[in-house]
Amino acid sequence: MTDRYDAIIVGMGSAGGILAEQLTKAGAKVLGLEKGPDYTQDDFEIKHDELRYYQRGAIVAGVNVDPVTWRPDENARARVLPWSAGALGIDEPLYGLPSIGTGGGTLHWGCAAYRFREADFRMKSAIAERFGEQALPEGSTVADWPISYDDLEPYYEMVEHEQGISGRAGNVRGVLAEGTNPFDPPRRNDYPMPPITQGPGDVPFVEATKRLGMHPFRQPLALNSVEYKGRSACVNCGFCHGFPCHVKAKSTTQVTSVPEAKATGNLDLRSQSRVLRINRSADGREVRGVTYVDAHDVPHDVEAPIVILTAYALENVRLMLVSGINANGEVGQHFMTHNFGWFTSILPEATNPFIGTFNASSAIDDFTSERVPDNDLGVLWGSPIISVTGDLQPIEAYHNMDPRVPKFGLDLKHWMRDNYLHMHRMYSQTTNFPYRRHYCDLDPVVKDRWGQPALRITHDWEDHDADSVTLMGRYKELIAREMGAKSYWTDSPRPPYHLSTHDVGVHRMGEDPATSVTDIYGEVHECRGLYAIGGGQFVSYGGYNPNQTIQALAYFSSEQLLSQHGALGTFRRGVNAT
Amino acid sequence: MGSAYALDDALLFLNPAQAAMIDAFTAQIIPSEAGSPGAREAAVTSYIDRSLAGFMRDLQSVYRTGLRELADLVAGRYSVGFVQLSEEQQRDVVASLDQVSRADPSDFLGQFYRIVREHTVQGFFGDPAYGGNRGVVGWKLVGFPGAQWGYSPEQMRPGVDAKSIPILTVKDLYTRIGGTR
Repeated sequence: MTDRYDAIIVGMGSAGGILAEQLTKAGAKVLGLEKGPDYTQDDFEIKHDELRYYQRGAIVAGVNVDPVTWRPDENARARVLPWSAGALGIDEPLYGLPSIGTGGGTLHWGCAAYRFREADFRMKSAIAERFGEQALPEGSTVADWPISYDDLEPYYEMVEHEQGISGRAGNVRGVLAEGTNPFDPPRRNDYPMPPITQGPGDVPFVEATKRLGMHPFRQPLALNSVEYKGRSACVNCGFCHGFPCHVKAKSTTQVTSVPEAKATGNLDLRSQSRVLRINRSADGREVRGVTYVDAHDVPHDVEAPIVILTAYALENVRLMLVSGINANGEVGQHFMTHNFGWFTSILPEATNPFIGTFNASSAIDDFTSERVPDNDLGVLWGSPIISVTGDLQPIEAYHNMDPRVPKFGLDLKHWMRDNYLHMHRMYSQTTNFPYRRHYCDLDPVVKDRWGQPALRITHDWEDHDADSVTLMGRYKELIAREMGAKSYWTDSPRPPYHLSTHDVGVHRMGEDPATSVTDIYGEVHECRGLYAIGGGQFVSYGGYNPNQTIQALAYFSSEQLLSQHGALGTFRRGVNAT
Repeated sequence: MGSAYALDDALLFLNPAQAAMIDAFTAQIIPSEAGSPGAREAAVTSYIDRSLAGFMRDLQSVYRTGLRELADLVAGRYSVGFVQLSEEQQRDVVASLDQVSRADPSDFLGQFYRIVREHTVQGFFGDPAYGGNRGVVGWKLVGFPGAQWGYSPEQMRPGVDAKSIPILTVKDLYTRIGGTR
């Protein structure tokens, strides 16, 4: 016997939680399949443990369960992650896949909630207009988005108000607010909450950037600064990025959308349930449902006229490929990921880096996206420089040590003793252009414990990536010196990781079914009723965190699904059934 | 010769000789000083032993092999075991492995050194619930207040002396929460 639903959602995370809420509230009967646990607040009440969460990755997908392999190019043999951490995988625990379970990636995230800029949606044209048609690096497949900032603006606002974002807008209906970001894209309404309490280490950054003529602004965060929708304000515990929240202050769909969807009575949420394949009609042109295994590894077939993949960009691709969905060869192409350009300084005054969240801080957009200054390195698109003040526990601090200091003996011990309380960090997620040579496919050798092929990433840092880190590093150095830093250092422009929870672009959206995987609403061109929603739809990738746009796309798609299928009566059956 | 290893915890994976070797080795990574405890006083060896019996069991073979090859290396150079070397000789061995690990990332003993170093740092700065950081000596050294439920807006201001905040462990936090329920 098979179960039938109006829609099946694969992954109850950032986008999936929102789609579940929107569809069930409209009366649709939805099956939510989540490979991780259905967390409750009891799971997270005491989470103040760096070893458990940050170093041992208690809420992220382990590579022994979800292997990912990587190779720099087609001539190299792919290795199982964590290749980022050296042969034995010990140094960099968070350069992997995002957290799983209800809430998905929004459980572990650092809450940075940036809208993309207007120009980010037309990156290719904007670069051509300024630098010429030939300026883009050889082989780049960057394109303009099929939707504009204006199309997405109302949905960004929905994220801000429905999920709960704190911050202070710089540009409301064209009116610039004093003392905030003068380069903000225009918006209709301000954030629903003011910025959260500023971390002490951010003060020198703000003062230094102002003296340098830059324009620091407080970051928009998916974190309550005041009580919001019955959830508490942040208590500044300093176990945030990489950790779940113990007071429900972090706006994760685990505490926002998923409970709302459950409350409708229309969501059948099955956790620890792993989808193995997408089932289609005999001709492959329509989706029929999915096959999944439950916590006891018992397989089930479930049916629905609509199947929505919201399992993370890379897992969406893996599911499509193992199901034979890739008629035009575009599934898995255009892989993009961020290069963070970490820059650490030792400041003269104490920064108390353990206090408050990672992003209880400011950023500058002076050099972001189309605002990139003319430069000798050929960098075509800039990125924000973000000050990081809190959330730094001692083991992670050790990982960020000055590379010139020996990492053993009294040198190590005294360095930690004398510098930990004075550490300040900056990063810039630099623009990553897509190329044909950067893609995901199924690993021909490595399989997971269910016999499914691992996803294989073929990617290496290009000159433009490294040059972008170098260019932004010059500004970081200027800021560090202005802050009076006693010492400072930066990551390699070609870092060892190629996967970071910021991986996007691999099921590109577009109007032409020959050159893209989905339409603008995420419906897969070759299979009616199948949707793949999230960062995989991105067409280009500037320097902002991806989640705000992922969630805006989820609201955008929800509306289209409801107008199309609600009108057709597909979901009315769900209303009658409840 | 370094201080003798005092076996005051039941071992769950290592044998006593291996534990003594780990103890001497990790004491060179985070050394003890007068008035300033190091890996030894923090019971990093207990952290590593308990972890190898549980979460890190996949590394049991790496530890067995690494300790044996380290013993062979030391025997070849000094004709005695690592534990019997002087502080200075132990330091030289660790420094040479550090050098090798940077010069040749594929060298097994260099990798073993990096693994033990990582676990030393984990055992020194992790919560005491894991068997290390005894007496929260790691957190006291650097000024980390540990497992705090939260901080007030006043504590978020610049100029707050972190070392004036009483240190809490995960266990302390359970006690505090239990008291308010």
